[in-house]
Amino acid sequence: MQDRPDARELLEALEEFMRERSESSQDRFDRFQFLVAANSLSILQRELQMDDDFIRDEWTGLDALLGAEEPPVRILDRAARLRERNGDLCDRIENGEFDGQGEDQLLRHIYTTVFNKVRIANPREAV
Amino acid sequence: MTDEARQPILEEAVRLALGGEGVTISDAKKLAGGAMHESWGVKATARGAESDLVVRLSPAGRADPEKMNREYTVLKAMHERGVRAPKPFAMGSADTGEVYMVMERAEGDTNPRKFITSPEYETARKQFIEDLARSLAIIHEVRPVELPGIDLRSPAEDEDPAEFERQRLITDYHHLKLNPHPAVVWALRWVGREIEKLERTGRPILVVHGDLRVGNLMYDENGLSAILDWEGVHAGEPEEDLAWLCTRVWRFGQNDLEAGGITDRETWVQAYERASGATIDRNRLRVWEVLRNIHWAVVCMMQARAHTDSQQRSHELAAIGRRAGDTELEILRLTGVAERFANAG
Repeated sequence: MQDRPDARELLEALEEFMRERSESSQDRFDRFQFLVAANSLSILQRELQMDDDFIRDEWTGLDALLGAEEPPVRILDRAARLRERNGDLCDRIENGEFDGQGEDQLLRHIYTTVFNKVRIANPREAV
Repeated sequence: MTDEARQPILEEAVRLALGGEGVTISDAKKLAGGAMHESWGVKATARGAESDLVVRLSPAGRADPEKMNREYTVLKAMHERGVRAPKPFAMGSADTGEVYMVMERAEGDTNPRKFITSPEYETARKQFIEDLARSLAIIHEVRPVELPGIDLRSPAEDEDPAEFERQRLITDYHHLKLNPHPAVVWALRWVGREIEKLERTGRPILVVHGDLRVGNLMYDENGLSAILDWEGVHAGEPEEDLAWLCTRVWRFGQNDLEAGGITDRETWVQAYERASGATIDRNRLRVWEVLRNIHWAVVCMMQARAHTDSQQRSHELAAIGRRAGDTELEILRLTGVAERFANAG
């Protein structure tokens, strides 16, 4: 186990630094670049905090749409497999497999995953 | 590129624009600069008369004379027809490889947030919508054949422009995505189904501005002063421009005012209908709003890809990749999906 500060705390420290630089810089370009950097670091903090639950929900949603499968144990493997499963989902949508009756379940899943994604990436828009 | 290094080419451009000897320039100032082009404001003196000009310049290696010619030709035609747009004087290319275009410097401001939010522009905003509708109606009277010598991206004459755009987006999405986006794939399918239900308009294929958003529109206290940035001009149908102004990302937080954060969607469309005499099918417009949002999601992917493919390493471009989600959520609002599932948990 790593010592503290943990990942979230380190990111928070970096974000504070970027935000402070953004506010104090005299240069318009720098102010904007530091602000974007601070915002990216706050995305990462929310991702660390919430994405574990969201990924679990997304996996379960895909189980219902594509057929159940056990998630890989390692986080990186799980992310790679999740991407593949979303690729499968897209292929099936394009093939018309969810047209008609199956569409409701598909859209419920899509809405939830998009909303959760926005809660991390841009919470102001998650309305 | 330093300001001094650009001086000779700016002088060359202005001499070409104003004709002959006795032309001098001063106060060259960079107005905007990107990877693709720079804009310079210059004060020019020719035979005792002073004028304010803008020189748009594509750096050597990035210069695309055909594209610059397209922009110049369209701008010239539109200005002559009475569209509020800067008058273009000349275009040319330097021996060193740069391509440039010289135009008048329109009076006004381009900061969209200031225009949208500040109380001092309240009257101007109302007039702006009327002015914009009138100029847009003029743009949309022009058929591509009336602009000879340039090549505009265009649907076939018997093709539905919305379907043409849908096909373009399917190709671009598959080419540019960094990961699968089920929401985008579903939305492209939804659009296809909706297009089949729409009535064909019976209109010919027309010229559209292609990037009509408040950031490309110059204003002053009287309303619209100039439509800028004609780089995206192509052929299609008016709903594309009407819808792009309504895209959520260009509302700068004023989300209840769908038309650019300035007025509501219906007021905007009615202003356009009055100005053009056309009737806009609201269902077709909604299809275009979804298409334009898909377009924006794909642009986010493209920007992020410029970074991940190392064309242009930039944490800012990388961060834009994470904005595709906002747009997907907006697509789910526009298609009625959000309403159905927002409170379903």
